[in-house]
Amino acid sequence: MSGDLLLDVRDLTVQFPTQDGIVNAVSGLSFTLRRGETLGIVGESGSGKSVTNLAILGLLNSKHSQVGGEILLHGRDLLKASQSELRDVRGKDVAMIFQDPFACLHPMYRVGSQIAEAVRAHLDVSKSVAFERAVEVLDAVGIPNARARAKDYPHQFSGGMRQRAMIAMALVHNPSVLIADEPTTALDVTVQAQILDLIDKVKRDFDIGVILVTHDLGVVAETAQTVMVMYAGRAVEHGPAREVFDSPQHPYTWGLLESMPSVESKVAHLHAIEGSPPSVIHLPTGCAFHPRCPHRFDRCMTARPPLEQMEGGHADACHLDTDAKRRLWAERQRIRLGVGA
Amino acid sequence: MSTFGAPLIEVEGLTKRFPVSTGVFSRRAGEVHAVEDVTLSVRRGETLGIVGESGCGKSTTARLMLKLIEPTAGTIRFDGRDITNLSARQMRPVRREMQMVFQDPYSSLNPRQTVGQIIGQPFSIHKTEGDAKKLVRELMDRCGMNPEHYNRYPHEFSGGQRQRIGVARALALRPKLIICDEPVSALDVSIQAQILNLLESLQSEFDLTYVFISHDLSVIRQISDRIAVMYLGRVVELTDSESLYETPRHPYTASLLSAVPRTSVGRRARIVLSGDVPSPVSPPSGCAFHPRCPKARLLTNGQGVPDDCRDDLPRLEAGTGHEVACWHPLASADELRPVAKA
Repeated sequence: MSGDLLLDVRDLTVQFPTQDGIVNAVSGLSFTLRRGETLGIVGESGSGKSVTNLAILGLLNSKHSQVGGEILLHGRDLLKASQSELRDVRGKDVAMIFQDPFACLHPMYRVGSQIAEAVRAHLDVSKSVAFERAVEVLDAVGIPNARARAKDYPHQFSGGMRQRAMIAMALVHNPSVLIADEPTTALDVTVQAQILDLIDKVKRDFDIGVILVTHDLGVVAETAQTVMVMYAGRAVEHGPAREVFDSPQHPYTWGLLESMPSVESKVAHLHAIEGSPPSVIHLPTGCAFHPRCPHRFDRCMTARPPLEQMEGGHADACHLDTDAKRRLWAERQRIRLGVGA
Repeated sequence: MSTFGAPLIEVEGLTKRFPVSTGVFSRRAGEVHAVEDVTLSVRRGETLGIVGESGCGKSTTARLMLKLIEPTAGTIRFDGRDITNLSARQMRPVRREMQMVFQDPYSSLNPRQTVGQIIGQPFSIHKTEGDAKKLVRELMDRCGMNPEHYNRYPHEFSGGQRQRIGVARALALRPKLIICDEPVSALDVSIQAQILNLLESLQSEFDLTYVFISHDLSVIRQISDRIAVMYLGRVVELTDSESLYETPRHPYTASLLSAVPRTSVGRRARIVLSGDVPSPVSPPSGCAFHPRCPKARLLTNGQGVPDDCRDDLPRLEAGTGHEVACWHPLASADELRPVAKA
């Protein structure tokens, strides 16, 4: 990655105090995002991927959450910024698109005027100028006949078009960072392909960095340059996408990859990760994944493995040594594909 | 494919149209063609996958099969008996034999009932003999739940555990047929695999027949023996799992398959369909897929579509093993390469 550094998150920690104890939503998370890069964050529900994004946008209520670490946007720490400074960043420098395009557009306002409202939130321009900008971005995201469609209500748009409209709204102020939280989960597979293509095009045309949060490893493999796998609030594996998919290092990543059925072949027996994700209030000692890990040994239960860098910027948090990992992964692949040992 | 028994459920010419009304006087404004002329048969012990995008009629087909809604036309035969015109009372004994697992394990379980009550309810509805409590505990154990949790409420369980409750409830009366409507779509991948494995092991143990509905092509491949691909209310391709994925013949199937994101090495060419699925209120003439069909466009070098695609409705040719409703089916998946995007 050669583009300039947009976002530098260092040792991010998010906790929510509750009556039952402290929820450790995110712990010691560090990553960077550069211009022209798509960072894919994968993990199951409760792994902390969405909370990370809310923290970046400063959307966590300080009364109910404790946020630690640093979130540097162009070198400026967003965690130290005031509410009014944050308001200047949100929707302008950092924009977000959400999972459900049905819930994110007001049903009683025209699509164009909702986008125009987003324009006027940061720019002191007339309504007609803002509307022109709305038409311009709708056109940029591939809405045919944008000027006429801008006068439509959201219910007149299909799911895919609504998601396009959301992307258009995110782009009105030429942001440098676009956060997409499960942007295609609610969409059909053919429409998903269109939206993923669009996000990629937007990234190149507007020269921005994209954080793509998803539970679908296939989506990440096809669109991201960097991947971060999260489990129970921590990054367990982090590295260039090709590296992570070609030689995954963490047993949790192995489990995720193996539990995905594939359109390319039917496997004899689908491997499932045993048990379910841990409670984020009472995290297991040592490595949070150890209760579900088939390769655990004594140390995994007592000491938490640090996220260790290997060559090529690929990092993982596991006590197994490199040779053992290579051997185990090769063996597991043999079993999965049903090839005799 | 001859390992499966006689047909358990057969539907012929199944059609369902929903009226659309508008205005203050609820004037009849048209009809949603939800399911149009669907003919399918599922053999004993087999899993038939039904795959398609939202609005293609796959869930409506499932509900019609169970007679949860009345068909506009067509017949349904279950276990050799025509059940199309049975009354609700006559359906009762048949219902024991056919069950359903729903998509959303959060809304398909009554939050005010304990797990024991939920799974045991089929026994009380059908007034069965025997110790229901013991049977429920056995079912819970078989479906991978702790029988000690008999008195817990659904909110105390994770999504995966709740789906196990749904499966146990469907299994309670030892049905012959279980219709699974997107049973794993709401679950995380690692949990999804657990439920798929559970369904597979239950199938062989209890000699079950499944109709498995999903929009996820990889899940469908994993679980199905035969697959029906639906588009705008019609089955456009019907064949065994292997042939469908290796040699898809309908351009729609090929486009769907190519759109699925994969983790395997290297980028590949993708056929990106333009536009959205048309409205089922006024489906296109001829082949409903013709306005988006990449093959039709190839045939005319991008100048419109061939006349037969536009004017005449293609039908599945029965009895060929690999049935496809297309005037110009693909000979190989490579045929669409010229329109694929890198």
